[in-house]
Amino acid sequence: MGESTVKLLPIAIVAGMFALFIISGLRTRKHQVSEYGFAGGYTGRVGIGAAIASNWMSAASFLGLAGMFYLKGYFATAYVVGWTGGYVLLLVLMATQIRRFGKYTAPDFVGFRYESETARTLAAVISIIIAVIYSVAQFRGIGLMVSWLFDIDYIPAVIIGASLLVSFVVVSGALGTARNQKLQYFVLITTFILPLMLLTRKLGYFWLLPQFGYGAAISDLQQQFGFVWSQPFTSESLFAWFALCFSLMFGTAGLPHVLSRFYMVPGIRDARWGVVWGLFFIALIYWSAPAYGVLARLFEARQGIPFNPADLGTADMVVLSAALNGGLPLWVTGFLVAGGMSAAFSTVAGLMLTGSASFSYDIYPRLIRPGASETDKVYAAKGFFLLLAIAALLLAVQTTSMMIAEIAALAFALAGNTIFPAFLLGIWWGRANAAGVIAGMLAGVAITFAPLVIGSAVPIIHLLFPVTSSAFIGAPVVIVIMIAVSLLTAPPSVEISSFLSRSVHDCPEE
Amino acid sequence: MREYDRGSINIFRPRGKSMKQETKVIMMVLTGWLLGIVGSQAVVFFLEHTQQGAPLSQWTFFNLRVPFWLTGQFLPLWFIIQCVVFNVWMDRHAARDLDGTLRFRVPASTDREA
Repeated sequence: MGESTVKLLPIAIVAGMFALFIISGLRTRKHQVSEYGFAGGYTGRVGIGAAIASNWMSAASFLGLAGMFYLKGYFATAYVVGWTGGYVLLLVLMATQIRRFGKYTAPDFVGFRYESETARTLAAVISIIIAVIYSVAQFRGIGLMVSWLFDIDYIPAVIIGASLLVSFVVVSGALGTARNQKLQYFVLITTFILPLMLLTRKLGYFWLLPQFGYGAAISDLQQQFGFVWSQPFTSESLFAWFALCFSLMFGTAGLPHVLSRFYMVPGIRDARWGVVWGLFFIALIYWSAPAYGVLARLFEARQGIPFNPADLGTADMVVLSAALNGGLPLWVTGFLVAGGMSAAFSTVAGLMLTGSASFSYDIYPRLIRPGASETDKVYAAKGFFLLLAIAALLLAVQTTSMMIAEIAALAFALAGNTIFPAFLLGIWWGRANAAGVIAGMLAGVAITFAPLVIGSAVPIIHLLFPVTSSAFIGAPVVIVIMIAVSLLTAPPSVEISSFLSRSVHDCPEE
Repeated sequence: MREYDRGSINIFRPRGKSMKQETKVIMMVLTGWLLGIVGSQAVVFFLEHTQQGAPLSQWTFFNLRVPFWLTGQFLPLWFIIQCVVFNVWMDRHAARDLDGTLRFRVPASTDREA
């Protein structure tokens, strides 16, 4: 794919984009109070939605989803439905209530609601593990893009990409830049949609709305080249589709860095409507992603390139291969890479910072160095940030049979098996207590990793809890465990019960 | 039932006017959400795996075969619609009960959050 040379023009475009983010961030720092601001302060619900979408978009969305469509056809719609439907759960079951708790992070919420430092620490550890797994998916995407940019092998590309990421975060932090998420979303959507419009125009399809135009490409693939993605629910069962879809939805409603978005705006109405706008902006990308997978396959078929379902690297890069094989100018492909790098960088940076904050706030002063000063905590956070980056890097260079979207789905499964039940019952069942949530979260971790560890030896585990989809059955199991253990142990304090009734649900005392 | 359990929050036993109304609309939205997902896949399964559905499965809508359009395009739109319906109801409900303000005004973002 592409010439065997360093791609100077795309590299320049990528570097220019990051410079733009830093410059914009410096301007934003001077004016804004909330990180959603562009030119200072509150920017409206649309701006909030753009920020939510920017924070959400990762390499999994930008690259991985198109790759899943390329490889698996209809089955990949489970990712679309899972990653959008979860926002309905988030909005109706959690958004308003979480804000009323007034706690900023998942460990904060768990520690407060369940009145347990053990539960808080466990939630912090789980949040960190989620951050690492999710970051592995992003590092894989970064590695593939850097590999293409510099024409180097994957492993050195991942190392270089990770180094660039850490440098970017350090430089941004040293300069005190704020994340301009509205600008980031604008860059993401532009770099994703414009090349797609050019591609569909080149092929003679309806290019103004390529989200509809690519349907004709599916028909052409079938009629001209006899290529047909398998019928729905043939290569992958209906159960597998539902399992993946619901696991992703539960995970969406349980991801720590998504939940914390609701604290970042002044009013609850703005938070709720911001979610709607965010969902719309996210859906714009997800309506478009399948087109890249279809067009990539069409271009390959025209060039006589056989379809290889085992080539995960090619699949994860179909967004780029569609642009290159479609004969788009190199600068357009450069913009695509810039958008993908932006998505991956911002996601990893956010995850790593959240994870290191969890460590320095919830673990370090409680378990490692009680009485640590604020300065100690800052250094602990910085050191742990580097550790997280190294951990994700070491995992990302391992050979895997999982694609970017599948690695991300594993993170979602962990969140769906642990944080989601903890929040759900913590908000909607006053009897849920510390023993219940600790038992539940531990069970959730076991359910998530059991298929990886013993799945091959115990096939029933793999069947009930697929690696990327374990939360479909896992979340309900964890909920049952939480309920059972809570009922067998002492209830929460009257104080927290009253708080839940009066302050969260506005109920009269009985 | 123990005294504590009777008084504690339970989504299936809402207390007070505010919570009862809120849980009612939450259940309605979640029902629509679940029906949309399960129902759409039931339709897709019928179209793709039954003799009666086979001719219909070749129909296109907005250039896409019905199964792809229904799942990949309609369902996200359905979720957006549900969120809008929920928000409109919450805005009206909050205005009626003067619940527009938060009890806990949270300050602006801190550096802890990225």
